[in-house]
This record gives sequence, structure tokens and C-alpha cells, in this order.
Amino acid sequence: MQQLLNGIFIGSIYALFAIGFTLVFGILDRLNLAHPAVFAASAFVGIELVERGGLSLWAALPVVFVFGAVLGLVIERLAFRPLKGRADAHFAGLISSIALAGMLIALLQWRYGPDTRRFPAGSFPETRFEVAGAQVTLAQVVILAVSLALMVGLTYMVTRTRLGRGMRAVAENPTAARVLGVDVDRITAVTFAISSALGAVAGVLFAINVNTAQLGMGSAIELKGLAVIIVGGMGSLPGALIGGLVLGLAEVFAVQYIGSSWRDVIAFGLLFLILLVRPQGLLGARKVREV
Amino acid sequence: MLAEYATTLTFIALGAIFAYSFYAVLIAGQLSLGQAGFAAMAAFSAATLAPSGDDVGDVPALLTAVVIGMAVGALGAVVLGLPTMHLRGVFLAIATLGFAEAVRVVLLNLEWTGGAQGLAVPRILTVGMAWTALAVVAYWFWRMGRSRYGRALEAIREDELAARSMGIDVGRHRLAAFVTSGAVAGLYGVLFAYYVRLIAPNDFDFTAAVDGLVTAVVGGSTMFLGPVLGSGFQTMVPEIQRAVGVEAGWIRPFLAGLLLLVVILFLPGGLTSLVPRRTRVPSSGDGDGGGDGATATRLAARRHPAAGETVVSLTGLAKEYGGVHAVRGVDLEVRGGEVVGLIGPNGAGKTTLVNMISGLVPPSSGSATVLGTTIGRTPVHQVAAAGVSRTFQHSKLFNRLSALENVLVGAHLVSRPTFLRRLLWLPSARRDEQAALEHAARCLRRVGLGDLAGNRASSLSYGDQRRLEIARALAAEPSLLILDEPAAGMNHVEAGRLSELIRSLARDGLTILFIEHNVGMVLETCTRVVVLDFGEVIASGTPAEIAANPVVIEAYLGTADDEPSGRSVADGTLADPTGGSGAVAAPGAVTNVDPSAAGTLDLPDTTPRNAP
Repeated sequence: MQQLLNGIFIGSIYALFAIGFTLVFGILDRLNLAHPAVFAASAFVGIELVERGGLSLWAALPVVFVFGAVLGLVIERLAFRPLKGRADAHFAGLISSIALAGMLIALLQWRYGPDTRRFPAGSFPETRFEVAGAQVTLAQVVILAVSLALMVGLTYMVTRTRLGRGMRAVAENPTAARVLGVDVDRITAVTFAISSALGAVAGVLFAINVNTAQLGMGSAIELKGLAVIIVGGMGSLPGALIGGLVLGLAEVFAVQYIGSSWRDVIAFGLLFLILLVRPQGLLGARKVREV
Repeated sequence: MLAEYATTLTFIALGAIFAYSFYAVLIAGQLSLGQAGFAAMAAFSAATLAPSGDDVGDVPALLTAVVIGMAVGALGAVVLGLPTMHLRGVFLAIATLGFAEAVRVVLLNLEWTGGAQGLAVPRILTVGMAWTALAVVAYWFWRMGRSRYGRALEAIREDELAARSMGIDVGRHRLAAFVTSGAVAGLYGVLFAYYVRLIAPNDFDFTAAVDGLVTAVVGGSTMFLGPVLGSGFQTMVPEIQRAVGVEAGWIRPFLAGLLLLVVILFLPGGLTSLVPRRTRVPSSGDGDGGGDGATATRLAARRHPAAGETVVSLTGLAKEYGGVHAVRGVDLEVRGGEVVGLIGPNGAGKTTLVNMISGLVPPSSGSATVLGTTIGRTPVHQVAAAGVSRTFQHSKLFNRLSALENVLVGAHLVSRPTFLRRLLWLPSARRDEQAALEHAARCLRRVGLGDLAGNRASSLSYGDQRRLEIARALAAEPSLLILDEPAAGMNHVEAGRLSELIRSLARDGLTILFIEHNVGMVLETCTRVVVLDFGEVIASGTPAEIAANPVVIEAYLGTADDEPSGRSVADGTLADPTGGSGAVAAPGAVTNVDPSAAGTLDLPDTTPRNAP
């Protein structure tokens, strides 16, 4: 039971991170490899907000959300917009976002140094719950609540609002959307902002969960994020949620029953199998090729 | 002097070799990140299996290790490639990445690899050896560039479907590129191991793979020099920063990232775009008439079916898309030397029908035999090999290749493989390439594009692109040529020339099937016209019969009573709904393509000019 809960907590963070990833891919067909750097940066910023700004853990979350959104706009502006209309935009976008991620991490190193950072002592509430014989901290409950709330909010936005309709139109056919009066550039920018804001919150929640932030934490989760969006189906939001939970649970149980050193083989073996059997992912739709 | 920079130079060579393993697949349009896994497998197995330098001497030991490593890498690529080659783009990247990570974790957990501590390997590699190896790899890709094989890979990168229709076995070519990549990655793994003294599985992690990809893309993934330039750039940037005294810490990675961003944003095509690229011009074309006749016979000539022999035979052919019957119950026989025009309103199923005939779309029911091949289960490239060549309704050119190169790809089926002979500089390879070039130039001249041979396909005007597609299809020396709306976007002078070209091809013994909305041109060009509506053949006969057929006129122009709800401007079958009722002889009843290319329906005077 304890393992199940742990798996759900870590899985919900994976899911939140992966949803940001898959949002950009699903709508704009671009893989933004600066996303993990946003994840890392926001963890550091979150810690600083609590440490120096004296904010409570929870007040820091909305601030980080905004910080991530701004970073997203910067990423879109610097690494993706200049590539618009280029034949190699796919590869070039990968590389430019990698470059930007490198710069972002370098800036983090400048500001915070190469060492691991932690939240100041006493920033976590001590409340604990007992759920079916398992120990759960308040922090963990909040992680789950925030993740779920954000995912529900995002789903509502994409399916119900005008902005979401614009996003889906762009995903379907950018040219047609433009002709019909959708401001494609604005939708693109907003998509990046939302995606990065989610990634940022995921970063802080991750830092809260393990109480550490490291420069390399982004690349550690990057692979998992990719695995999650493949397992769930590229561009599928509910798929990313399910994929995140599946990965979180698989990891926790792999550590429990097989040993921690083999943990990642499970994750990637699973990923590989799913790609072979169902390349479109669990909930993805197979794109029909036009003749 | 050299000794001082030996380490840097060695790492440039190693980085370049690794980047070549990415280049090998990028050139075919595949994004793979599994190379780090191949390199790791190769490094550990070679370091374990190869004899020690003390027993057999350093160089033989290294050579043995290289052979083992490359074999392991290639084998790994076959094993990984067979199940994953159907994946595209990011999916392939992530599947291969998953594989590489799994390899790394397994190696970390095995006894004989030393786990995270790693494995000690003697340092044998010198700067000279590293650059020799690099030279060999670069030579391989240089000679590949202008071989038939290299062109086929580029064609697959630009447009996979068009490449298939040109007779290229895409699956085999992609797997070959992948295996090459695995072997080169294996080479890198071994050389790296014999240089750094201690290898650990974590030397071949995700970051390493990303570095390799970045190097290849920064250098430029369309020209063989790219990886070398990319590696020079990636290795030198930190070195130069150190030399000019940029402080370690955050500034170095920041500047490296910034430079990378600048290169990728402002140099599309990577660093190689700074190297002037020699544009290949057809070898003086019409100038040397002497060699022309001699070389023309060198390309494999196809025997066309004799006039009257069955070329296409369809019985009850049908295609259904989720309940929509695009084509139903079509029986059609096309005989050698015929020029068959396929007309019908938009959505009548014309393109679906030719897609089935060319093997792109399997029929839902019914049977079809084209040039002796049974359509349905036969892969597209084999249908093409049987002698079917086609153009597409929406141009599917290889956009980043020159017009001439597009046509050279078209000649894939009739030219001979040249890559291996080019590696050895055999004169026969040169002659074969020359023959293919001249053949391609002839095809270009035939459609009137002789002057534009060196231009990029994407830079051509719309009409020229249509013509280039025809030239490319012609280059395959097809027995059956299928043209899907070849005159779209042409004015009536150009359409007239196209009509003349089609008739001259028929005189050469080709059988031609073409879809066209320019009815005037169809009636003027064809020996037989087939009219399709709602997926069914509603009429078939000589142009004169068709032009007088009331059913056809109704399908095209509608009748008075179904005018309000019938097909009209809305679906583009009729440009002039008001003059529609029974207007057989309505002067200027225009078709929907292009007002200037308008054919009128009252053209029955153009009787067939070259009956079979």
C-alpha cells in the first residue's frame, strides 16, 4: 500500500512534467528539449523564494507557475519562432532548444553554484495521515492535489475554452487555422507558456517530494518524460497522465521486487515494447498518411 | 607543437566519427539516438574479447578490436532495426533511445563490465590512428554521396512515398543506413575505449547521444564534411575559451550554448552551408552528341508490351473508406499503346483508382493485374519495378535536391548500383554514373526543363514542378505511365505542349493513363476516355463518343432539375452553374481548373490521332 501511494505521488509529478512536454508536441509538433531545464530552474527558484523571499511553500507555487510561463515565452521566442518555415525545422528545433537548455543550466550554475540545494529546515508541515495503514505526509497530498488540479484545469481549457479551441485548430492544421482568423503565433506562444508553467510546477513539486534540487535533475527526468509521452501516446493529455502513473508505479514496484539497479531497465523495456506493439501509444491516434 | 594539441585533435576525430554514425541515418531522414548503445556494446565486448597488445602487438590488437566492435555494432543495429524500422521521426528516436538506456543499465549491472567502476583498457590509439580512421569513414560517406545508393537515401529523406514509387525499396535502404550507423558507432566505441584508458557504461549515456546528434546537425546533415566541421566546432569552442582565458564554471557552457544557438538559427543546413557546394550540371548535354548514342544503350532498356497486349486489367475493383465507397466495381482493361484519359467530377474516385493501380492503396475487393503483377499485396516498389511510374496530384518532389538529381532518382530502376565501385574508383562506375546523368538530362530536355537542371526542385515554378515530376517518372523508362492532373496550373499553350509530349511518348510504345480536368486537352490527347462518377465507370469510349454522351454531360454539367442541389460550384465540378442546363454546345462551358486552360465540351472534331 505504501508503495502504491509512493508510486502515485511520483507518478503524478512525472505526469505533470510529461503533460507540458506532450502539449507542445501535440499542438505544434515540436519536441522542446529545453523543458527539462525549466523543470530544474524552477526547482532552484522555488527554493530561493522560500529561503530568501520568506514565502511559504504553497505561496511559492503560483509564483513559480508565472516564472515558468515567462521562461516558456522566452524559449518560444529564441529557439522556435526563428525557425518557422524552415525545411529542417524539426531537427533544428531539437538542437536550438538543447542549446537554450545548456545556457539556462549555465545561468543556474552561476546563480546557485554546482551544489545540491535543499529547502530550509522547517518549511514542511509535519502533519501526517494514515491511509489504509500507509504513512502519507501533507506535502505528498498537496503534490497530488496540485497535479490533479492543474491537469483538470488544462483539460478544461483545451476542450472548452476559446483558447483551447484555437489550440486544437492549430494542432489540426496551422494554415487553415490562420486562414480562419486564428492568431497562430499567439496560440504558439501561449502553448509554450502553459507547457513551461506546468513543467515549472512539476519541478518545484519534485523538489518538495525529495527535498533536493540539482543541476542535473532535468536530464534525469527528461528521459522519463519522453517515455511517458510515448507510452501514453504522443500529444495525448490523458495518455500522459496515465503514462506518468504507470511509470511511477512500475519504478516503485521494480525497486521493491527486483532491485533498484534494474529499475530503469523496466521502464525502458516497457517503453520499447509499447513502441513495437502500439507505436501510437496507449491513447494516441495513428495519423493517417496522405497519399 | 602537434603533441601539445594531440588530445584535442584526437577528440575532434573521435567526435567526428561518432557524429558520422548519426549522419549515416540523418541522411536518410531517420532520427536515431541508439548509437550510444551500439558504441557501448562494441566498446565493452571488444575490450573484453580482443587479444592484448602485449601478445600480438598494439596495432593488430587495435585492428582486431575494431573489427569486433564494428561487427557488434552492426549486429546490434540489425537486431534493433528489424523491429523498429517502421517507426518514423521522434518515435524511432525514442525507441532507439530506450534501447540505448536499457543497454547502459544492463552493462552497469553485469559482472564482467566492472559495473559503474568501469573497465580498464590499454591506451593504444594515437592521434594519427584516430585521424586515419576518420579519413576512412569520411571517404566512405564522400563516395556514397553521388552514388545511386546515396541518392536513394536522400530521396527517402525528402519524400518517402515518392521514393517508393520510383522503385526504391525503402525498408531495405533504411535498414542498410541503420546498420552502417551501428558499425560506425561501434568503431567509435572501440577507438574511444582504446584512448581514454577507462570506460564506464555512463560514458555512453543520453548526454553522449545528444552530443553526437548535436555535432552532426551543427555540422550539417546533408553533406559528408558536416560531422568533421561539427566536431571541430564542438571540441574547439571550449578549448578556445580556455586559451583566451575565459574562466571556467558557468561562462563556458553558457557561451557554448549561445554559439550553438547562433549557428543553428543563422546557418540553416549547419556549418557545411559555409562550404560552397558544387552544383552538378548535366555533362554539357546536347554538346557531345558523339557519346550520346553509345551511352544510351548502357542503361537497362525495358521491353514495352506490344500494342494491344493487356497492360492493366481490373475486375470489380473497389475501395471503401469507412463506409464511403470511393471506387466500386470498376472493370477496366488498358492495352499496350493506349492513351487513356480518366475524367470525372471531383470526388469521383479517380485518384483512388490510380493509387490502387500503382500499388499505393490496396483495394478493398476485386482484383487487379498490372503488367503481370497482382496488385494488393505487392509492395509499391515492386509495382514500380514491373514498369509502372507515376506523378502525383500534389507534387511530391525531392525538394532539397536539384531538378537533375530528382530525375536521377527516377532512373533508380534502370541504372546500376555504383556505390561499391565508386569506393574503389572503378572506371565502370564513372561510366555508369555518366550514362545515368545523360539519361536524366535527356528526360529533363524532353519536358523542356534542360536549362533548369541545377535548380533546387523547391525553387521551380508550379508548372515547372509538374513537368519535373513527369521527367522523373519518365526516367524510370516505364511501360505504364500514370499522370495525375499533369496540366493543372498550366496555361493552354503549355497544356498543348504537354498533350504533344504525351502523344509522342505513346508513339515510343508507352501506355499512358492520365487524370485531367482539362476536358479539351483530354479529348484531344487520348485514344480512349473513361468517365468516373461516384466511384463507378459511367462511360468509356473514344473522345468523340464521350463528348456526345448524354450521361457524361449530365455528370459534368448537371441537369435542369437537380441544379439547385446537384454538384455545382460548391464541389468545383462546374464553374458556371447558371448556364448548366443541358448545355452540350454551350460555348465556353469552362472546366474547373483554370479559366485560361479552359477546354470546351464541343470539341468532337479532334479525332484520335494515334490509335493503337
